[in-house]
Amino acid sequence: MTDSWWWLGALFAGPAAVTAGSFLGVELERLRALTVAAAAWMTVVALGVAWQPDMRAVLLHSAALAWTAGGEALLRVDALSAALLPFAAGLWLLTVAVTPQAALDRGGLRRTAVATALTALSFLTESALVLLACWAASIRTFVAALSDPAHAVQRRVVVVYLGAATVVLAVGVVLLVGPQAGHPVAATVGTWLVALAALVRMGVVPFHAWVPEVFDHGRLGPAILFSAPQLGAYAIVVLLLPGASPALLRCLALLGLGTAMYGAALALVQTSARRACGYLFVSQSALVVAGLDCTSTPALGGGLLVWISAGLGFAGLARCVLVLEARRGRLDLSRFHGGYDRMPLLAATFLAMGLACTGFPGTIGFVGETLLVNGAVDVFPVMGFAVVFASALTGLAVLRMYFALFAGRPGRTEAALPGLGLRGREAVTFAGLILVIVGLGLQPRPLVDSRLEASEAILARRQAHAGGNGASRASPAKRAGAPVTHRGAGSHGAGHGTRAAGSEIP
Amino acid sequence: MSLAPSLLPQAALLAIGVGGPALLLAVLAASSLVGRPLPERWTARLTAGSMLAALAAFGLGLAGTLTGRHEPGLLSYGAWSTARPGGIALEFLVDPLALAFGMLTAGIAGVVSAFSNRYLHRESGYQRYFVLLALFVLGLLLVALAGNIEVLFVGWEFVGLSSALLVGFFHDRRAPVENALRVFAVYRVSDAAMLSAAVLLHHVAGTDSLSLLFGGSPTATALPGPAARGIALLLIVAVAGKSALLPFSGWLPRAMEGPTPSSAVYYGALSIHAGCFLLLRAAPLLERVPEARALAALLGAATAVFAGLTARVQSDVKSALAYAALTQVSIVVIEIALGFYTLAFLHLAGHACFRLLQFLSAPNVLHDLHALEERLGTRPIPGPGAVGVLAPLRLRDPVYLLALERGFLDSALDRVLVAPFVRAARWLTRLDGRLCAAVLPREGLGPAPGPPGPGGEADE
Repeated sequence: MTDSWWWLGALFAGPAAVTAGSFLGVELERLRALTVAAAAWMTVVALGVAWQPDMRAVLLHSAALAWTAGGEALLRVDALSAALLPFAAGLWLLTVAVTPQAALDRGGLRRTAVATALTALSFLTESALVLLACWAASIRTFVAALSDPAHAVQRRVVVVYLGAATVVLAVGVVLLVGPQAGHPVAATVGTWLVALAALVRMGVVPFHAWVPEVFDHGRLGPAILFSAPQLGAYAIVVLLLPGASPALLRCLALLGLGTAMYGAALALVQTSARRACGYLFVSQSALVVAGLDCTSTPALGGGLLVWISAGLGFAGLARCVLVLEARRGRLDLSRFHGGYDRMPLLAATFLAMGLACTGFPGTIGFVGETLLVNGAVDVFPVMGFAVVFASALTGLAVLRMYFALFAGRPGRTEAALPGLGLRGREAVTFAGLILVIVGLGLQPRPLVDSRLEASEAILARRQAHAGGNGASRASPAKRAGAPVTHRGAGSHGAGHGTRAAGSEIP
Repeated sequence: MSLAPSLLPQAALLAIGVGGPALLLAVLAASSLVGRPLPERWTARLTAGSMLAALAAFGLGLAGTLTGRHEPGLLSYGAWSTARPGGIALEFLVDPLALAFGMLTAGIAGVVSAFSNRYLHRESGYQRYFVLLALFVLGLLLVALAGNIEVLFVGWEFVGLSSALLVGFFHDRRAPVENALRVFAVYRVSDAAMLSAAVLLHHVAGTDSLSLLFGGSPTATALPGPAARGIALLLIVAVAGKSALLPFSGWLPRAMEGPTPSSAVYYGALSIHAGCFLLLRAAPLLERVPEARALAALLGAATAVFAGLTARVQSDVKSALAYAALTQVSIVVIEIALGFYTLAFLHLAGHACFRLLQFLSAPNVLHDLHALEERLGTRPIPGPGAVGVLAPLRLRDPVYLLALERGFLDSALDRVLVAPFVRAARWLTRLDGRLCAAVLPREGLGPAPGPPGPGGEADE
């Protein structure tokens, strides 16, 4: 075991400790404190993993589950995953730090830990089968969160939509990595099926109807934690981008752009804050899908950056709604709720998160959207105009929500409510979130460089795949299926095409 | 970052001129964020100090440029967002026009901040007001000094957001908030037009440099005709939205809901002229696109007539002043369209100062009228005015109604644009519900769970 593996062990120690604690009957208050500490620990470790170039040497490689030449990485840290790990850990910290104590029971705490571990594990793998397993397990965790009879309908919606997506993904993966993997028809059908599954999971039109329903009438908290990391986007990057045809990517981009405008437009007219959040998620995740159209390194880098900015912005905004709901009950956007003076920090957080979603200057969202538009517009000008239009609508939707939630005179009941102000932990978390969103917006260089590096690696992998397409399909290594544990030599590439060979450990 | 030695003095002045308001914004916002707003006295001093520093910096820069001691030019700070190629560059165009507008901005903002310090004394939103004022000043300075379209857009957005939030400053009342949303909606149209122009420029020319767009570069003529036409027309839409030209004039009276000092600085003095400034910047482009000049002149003329008539029948002083300001803004637009650039800038600067004074003294208007009546010994009754005398009898009533109803612009926009949009969006929402229900053939979606009361549902 090298230091790198210790780091990875430390990364998963937090979720493991919480899961173990929940089963071992640790007293609930202690378990809550442990969860917050574990989430903070995981965030710090993930930042350490992302920061250290040495960590790029971590690679558990195998040909057993692969369809490309030389196998694939069951576990690896590269430029792509380096920034996604702190993102996943940060979302967990945000979740457990601002959720009202009464709303997080033992099972809930365990589910947040398991969901985060699954997300982090997904971000660390390139293996289609491992990803499929994580995908299915995370949906299982989400469904478990909807076990309350009051949410039976929403549970069924999730099971039908996401269950079908999982089946479709499984078939697609089998076609891609199964014995018939070399066949062009199988590869094409498999690719389209994987794309379909990702679209359903990300709520892209016309497969989006589950999102507003589950956000509105299901449980918003688990929905945020499930959707904000955008595992569907990761599946597209890992399973599709290396070999997908430009036509398929353009098709996904067009669907994404249409959905981005559609979601923003519908968010603008909702009367339920939760439903508006649902449509905002649809819009934001679709923008990420559109950004994965591999037109150029800056455009793809912008897309990868929008992934993080939209995820953080959306999760922060939806968490603000939950914090407000905890104080006021369900929030109706057709009237003004007031209360700005009693919780200015929450109002500022809501606005900052919403502005990050719209790509407002001074937030990290601006950098991502600008890179995306500038990079893509030369070969795909529609992208530029559509992003502009979606951003304008999103901005309006966000400001409307902001005014409805924080402006106006509070009703008599609401005015009489005690404790409208934020608790210490909530205040610190939200202030930290603003610092992250604005800080990365003002000093985006490290994150942008990391996303561009990942983008270059993905495009290199795509080129390598195009170059060695035939050979990879008939790879003897894959046919032999022999598991190989392999430690790479610290290549910064995300894919096989750029990875240097390392020493093999029997 | 590598700057030519001849540009170093300009860079130093720019750092003071733009850095001061930026630092002010950071300090005020951070102190608000941590729940420890600065005392009013300190807020006022810091604001005044940064505005004075900016005024002096731009004044020195302008004097140096006009006397030939400083060289006008493009200050490029390279890729700010990344060490790799393809990032976002920070570029500032430091020339007499930018420095003069920067000076005007800093001077007027300084006056308004001093006035606001007393006007908003002990107001609960005092600190919020100054945060937004700092955001506005920073935004307008970025618009003035922008060397590429990204910097221009950053400034444009800062101005728009701060404007909307200041219209909704008294947010415990319904009307300001609803009007703020209206104002913001028009600004978003303006922003979208501006960004679309940027996208088109990038697509056609492969650059975001304003020197290409606005003619300071030798490659400026490389922009093909249709593209130049498209960009110019989009810019005119952006200008029309920001400067309340027709058909976007409906938001102007709504914007009067904000505190008087903010109305003065935005809709009397500076923000409403931002569009004119952009047109001045884009003058070389307009010269190559006669259709755009014609459109600008037409919009300006139509707006001038409309605003002139409407200003005469307003019953509140701020709205009357706003429409009067719009009349002058429209005339500035006409001047730019006709190519009288120096005249246009002098008109802009003079009008901004004059209207600022009028707006700031607006709260005293009744007091002044009473004083006037006392001196005259009678109440002065305004005459019918030129319009009343010259307009044919048949037209007087319709024109009066049109002016009184502010051209029915808002209701027309509601009917033509907003209502169909809302109807379509609601229909699509219902369709989504049905799509979801379709996967549940037996029970459908059923009633939603009851609303959770305060305390929230079990929701991690």
